[in-house]
Amino acid sequence: MIFAVLIPLVLALFIPLISKAKHKVHTGIFVLFIPLGIFLYFIRYIGNDFSPVRHTYNWIPSLNINFDFYLDGLSLLFVLLISGIGTLVVFYSIYYLHKTEKLGHFYVYLLMFMSAMLGVVLSDNVFVLYSFWELTSISSFLLIGYWHHRERSRYGAQKSMLITVFGGLSMLGGLVLLTVITGTTSIRSMIDQVDIILNSNYLPLILVLILLGAFTKSAQFPFHIWLPDAMEAPTPVSAYLHSATMVKAGIYLVARFLPIFVAYEWFFISVSLIGIVTLIWGSYMAVRQTDLKGILAFSTISQLGMIMAMLGFGTEAAIFAAVFHILNHATFKGSLFMVAGIIDHETGTRDIRKLGGLFTIMPISGTLALFGTFSMAGVPLPFLNGFYSKELFFGATTELSVTTNGLASFLSTAVPYLAVFGSIFTFVYSMYLFFGAFTGPKKFDLLKKKPHEAPIGMLISPIVLVLGVIIIGLFPNLTNGTLIAHAAQGILNSEIKPYHIHYWHGFDSLAFQMSLVVVGIGIVLFLTRKKWSNIYHVLPGKRSFNKVYDKLIQKIDDFSAGITNSYMTGSLKLYMSIILLTIIAVTFIIMFTTGGLTNISFDNLAEVEIIDLAVVFIMVLAALATIFVNNKLALIIITGIVGFGISILFVIFRAPDLALTQLVVETISMALFLLAYYHLPELRKRNETITTSATNTILAIGMGVLITLTGIAAHSSNWFNTISEYFVETSYKLGGGHNIVNVILVDMRGLDTLFEIAVLGIAALAIYGLIKVRKNKEAE
Amino acid sequence: MEYIILILAGILFATAIYNLLQKQLLRIIIGTVLLSHGAHLVILTMGKLKRGQPPILDDAVTDYTDPLPQALILTSIVISFGITSLLLVLAYRTAQENKTDNIEEMRGEPNE
Amino acid sequence: MSNLTILPIIIPMLAGIIVAFTNSRVKITRALTKLLTIISLVVAMIVTYSVFTDGTIILETGDWVAPYGIILVADKLSILLILTTNIIATAAVFYAPHSLTLKQETHYFYTFYFMLIAGVSGAFLTGDLFNLFVFFEVLLMASYALIVLGGDRVQLRESIKYVLINLFSSMLFVTAVALLYGAVGTINMAQIAERVAEVEQDGILTTIAVLLFFVFGTKAALFPLYYWLPRPYIVPNPVVSALFGALLTKVGIYSILRVFSLIFVHRMEITHEAFIWIAGLSMLFGVIGALSTNNIKLIISYNIIPAIGFIIMGIGIFNQDALSGSIYYLIHDMIIKSALFLLVGVIAYVAGTSDLTKMKGLIHHYPVIGWLLFISAFILAGIPPFSGFIGKLLLLKGAVTADEIVITIIALLSSLLILYSVMKIFIRGFWGEKDDTKNYTKKASLGLILPIAGLLAVSVFLGVGAEFVYPSIEGIAEYLLDPQIYIDSVLKE
Repeated sequence: MIFAVLIPLVLALFIPLISKAKHKVHTGIFVLFIPLGIFLYFIRYIGNDFSPVRHTYNWIPSLNINFDFYLDGLSLLFVLLISGIGTLVVFYSIYYLHKTEKLGHFYVYLLMFMSAMLGVVLSDNVFVLYSFWELTSISSFLLIGYWHHRERSRYGAQKSMLITVFGGLSMLGGLVLLTVITGTTSIRSMIDQVDIILNSNYLPLILVLILLGAFTKSAQFPFHIWLPDAMEAPTPVSAYLHSATMVKAGIYLVARFLPIFVAYEWFFISVSLIGIVTLIWGSYMAVRQTDLKGILAFSTISQLGMIMAMLGFGTEAAIFAAVFHILNHATFKGSLFMVAGIIDHETGTRDIRKLGGLFTIMPISGTLALFGTFSMAGVPLPFLNGFYSKELFFGATTELSVTTNGLASFLSTAVPYLAVFGSIFTFVYSMYLFFGAFTGPKKFDLLKKKPHEAPIGMLISPIVLVLGVIIIGLFPNLTNGTLIAHAAQGILNSEIKPYHIHYWHGFDSLAFQMSLVVVGIGIVLFLTRKKWSNIYHVLPGKRSFNKVYDKLIQKIDDFSAGITNSYMTGSLKLYMSIILLTIIAVTFIIMFTTGGLTNISFDNLAEVEIIDLAVVFIMVLAALATIFVNNKLALIIITGIVGFGISILFVIFRAPDLALTQLVVETISMALFLLAYYHLPELRKRNETITTSATNTILAIGMGVLITLTGIAAHSSNWFNTISEYFVETSYKLGGGHNIVNVILVDMRGLDTLFEIAVLGIAALAIYGLIKVRKNKEAE
Repeated sequence: MEYIILILAGILFATAIYNLLQKQLLRIIIGTVLLSHGAHLVILTMGKLKRGQPPILDDAVTDYTDPLPQALILTSIVISFGITSLLLVLAYRTAQENKTDNIEEMRGEPNE
Repeated sequence: MSNLTILPIIIPMLAGIIVAFTNSRVKITRALTKLLTIISLVVAMIVTYSVFTDGTIILETGDWVAPYGIILVADKLSILLILTTNIIATAAVFYAPHSLTLKQETHYFYTFYFMLIAGVSGAFLTGDLFNLFVFFEVLLMASYALIVLGGDRVQLRESIKYVLINLFSSMLFVTAVALLYGAVGTINMAQIAERVAEVEQDGILTTIAVLLFFVFGTKAALFPLYYWLPRPYIVPNPVVSALFGALLTKVGIYSILRVFSLIFVHRMEITHEAFIWIAGLSMLFGVIGALSTNNIKLIISYNIIPAIGFIIMGIGIFNQDALSGSIYYLIHDMIIKSALFLLVGVIAYVAGTSDLTKMKGLIHHYPVIGWLLFISAFILAGIPPFSGFIGKLLLLKGAVTADEIVITIIALLSSLLILYSVMKIFIRGFWGEKDDTKNYTKKASLGLILPIAGLLAVSVFLGVGAEFVYPSIEGIAEYLLDPQIYIDSVLKE
């Protein structure tokens, strides 16, 4: 199975080579065999006696991340959709994309996606699933941005990436939580430990995070906004990723985790509610679109909402209907997208206002669209698969059990009405799509091209799909026991009997009555469309979730620039002040809360002599004077006084080597400062505001007090003897020197000294460089 | 005595910080010099003061001051000296190129 | 064979001296540098191998026994970081001649470069706190020299701020070491750890710990101490930026990791809990910074900060998974950050600007660079199967195990924003129409591209081949959780 998943990815590497010959042979012809092969490989699993298959390949076993492929009914359905529709889409693209396009890129992305999507639906390991999940987002990003010279493409690509990766990362959070709680990375094992999960405090959080992943991917309200913009991708991509497969990954995810969450009533509430709202909003908004692909995009959103809602219901009937609809939606929506592509290709526009009366010129396409739209609308005809799944959907809405939770029971009462309400608009936009484009007055003068029927090659793929619509429509039970029931079983994780789908439910069937209401009101609304279309000025009016997104992105930029520029001013003083303030404040707090000063004692101190005090006093005076002096020579000299004071202190404290060194260094420093004296301007008076000097003073004193206090406390902590005894003992014995400090420097801590010299050396070279650059510049 | 020296170190730190927060490069550099003096005094004090003779072995002496801090200070003095020298040249070159010795006038533009 | 330990320090140091003498003959210098760097890399591999087979190698310099002399400790953590350093150094050295001007090269670039590596390696290896200070100074001094290399106006301006802030924190460092010596009477890290444990980090010790944390935190560029970082890092040549971005802040975070896993582990409810908060704020403010600018170099520069946030997050949580995550992330970030700095260097060079608003459609001219950037963005954001993901996953697991949900969510959110900040460069700069107003004559030579591709390959390997790496990292985390192992191996009691 790993081959099936990874082959597209591996072969994608060769596409750039093959595409070199694209002017002789269309690259798509080579690619075609990949999904076809995968389809043929998996189709043999179809059958009544199917049982799940598991193949495991190690990847990172020490982290429990392995290619753990698990093929159950649900995965099988998806795998067949991915490879089947994939084959048709690639075939279609051979005619759709001209050889002058960057075919190499296109097919690399497409194959990348194929691998990714197969990986998503086959992985039992959550982190492998996540990896493939992100790869679908990435390939979708690249495909939407395929024509990246267009502003809208770039916009759409970025939007889809941000929203789906956001969801992906949320999902990752949820998966990590699940992994930690259950101690496993396998979804199957998680399902076995459902009790632990349901009793976890993190259950609500897990649900939210996982659902965020699913909802963003499956374009559920209000994350649906990326899907219409994704229509910038070439039409084969829209048909494939953004209608038949990738957007169903979210559905797949919810279905996969359904056995874990189904007993949790917030799962029902959130998934059903969001699903129904998406269904209504999508179909309502679809009627308003003028772009053929725009209508189809909102229609997809709405249909995905419907499937999502059914998963939320969680009943056996609903699940069965959901699975059935996944299949049906792929057939009719796929064909409709392809027809939309044909219209675009042959007329040069997708604007429904410029189209009309195409049926006479494009009869085959027209017929295909007729079947597609009517199936989508759920028109009660026994050869349309969409009718059956809609009927099952209505049936499922009426059979919801009422729970104790107030919100949940309200929702289950309201759901049938909402479902009917949303479906009415579904009917309207389906009719609008078909009749708007194919009937009515001809407006060919508005078109860039003279329209004609598409070449046969382009028609084959949609014909195959429409045949699917009709065959499933005529024999609804054909796929029932062999595929659908297994898939439903895979979702519910329990044995279920295949549903028998009836052609005719009878007039007393509630579901059929609902269908009739939909069709009845739908026809009225469709015919009076112009009269009530003003409603869109009220809802959504000028409001739109797109604007929210655009504002958000703009805000992110502005907000970050605002914040960052407010403190990243390039002012050293500000940086230093913030750093100092933090250090002082935090350290003081820690000092007092951890009892830092408790050990302070005044025992065991050296005696004070007058001369010491005198030196210290002079140094204090000099140090303070550095602040107030406004003459640079005076400043340098005063600083020198402090330095020489230090060397006197070294003498007093019995550190002859230090005193000498300090003396030498201080002298050389003075010489160096003369450089500054010559080249730096005279000091100016510190004309600063009172607040500035007050802040500076506080920071300065704060730091000073901090050092003194910690110093005193550290000095008082007489827990241990120092390691110095050892140096005294061994200085001569092992080091051969009487001057202990020298022995330490050149022997015991010779490494320090070696690198101290290195520091000096680097400094010398750097100074040399600085001066030489200047000389060179002057020379130029 | 130790605490007096620590207070002195504190004062050196305080004046150093005050100078570091100024605008003129020369004052800032003086700040760094004071800072290193303060730090060295802290090191010295941590080895206790005036306990015994200078750390040069002598048969007549039994008590020596702690030699380790002295060695550390020596290393530190040399390193500080290196940095101060570099800083001085750097300051002089910076002031020259930027035509100002006021560090607050060296902020730069947001998108430079 | 304990002398092996000093080789990663001594080889670059000697190399730095050697190339100083050949400085004026630039061709010889280049060849020598490459040769010596590869030798250093091979030696690092050998030492790594022997540490991973035979365990920690201790070198008591000058045969002065611990805790009295300076001890070099090559344990798995430090040696792995040294290996990573050498890999990055090799890439940088091959990139350098194509990026530097002749003048920069002859101003002792290669000497400074080797000294930087010597300092970094020393900081990773030393087991002595004051010696750590000395190595910090070595690498800082080399960085001062590198940052002003070329000496133009903007460079000097940012350099002086950089030097001043670092000087301040160095002085604080030496003070803190002194205070610690005053309190526990030693500067050998193992012995400090032992003694701090004995008095259960009583009294002033936590305060000193906090001071040390601020010292390292300033070097590591943690919130709120990172202000000095973003701009100075973008003024020098890209190869210098890459070395800085990959190594300098990482030495700071390594020091925090070492000190707060070995020594100050007795008041975690204060110190380590605070780290988690700091981690969250670093992530947020870092990405906010990265999103605030259109300067592509600055975008990468700001991205250092959230990465450090991720690492400190693991140190704060301090359990097996989180620590493994920190170490994995540390190595990952060193590699990808250097690759990205080199990469934006090339982009700015070929585009003639680092202002994103002045770029478009670069992919038509430079497809290879474009795709390298594309992959880098995903590596950086921790998208699987690349290296960042493994580290992030471990960190998240660690966080969830420790019930730290807020930081988990911040980490996820900032991953998204990190991706956005870098992907912005791809979408706005590389996508789009061909810009016909400019003629892109500058070539991105192979000498520039190959080092980047090499680093990215290492990154991909760290992700895809995690099985070869992770078990070792897991071992390191276990080892860090038990400071006694380190103490015993140094003090041998």
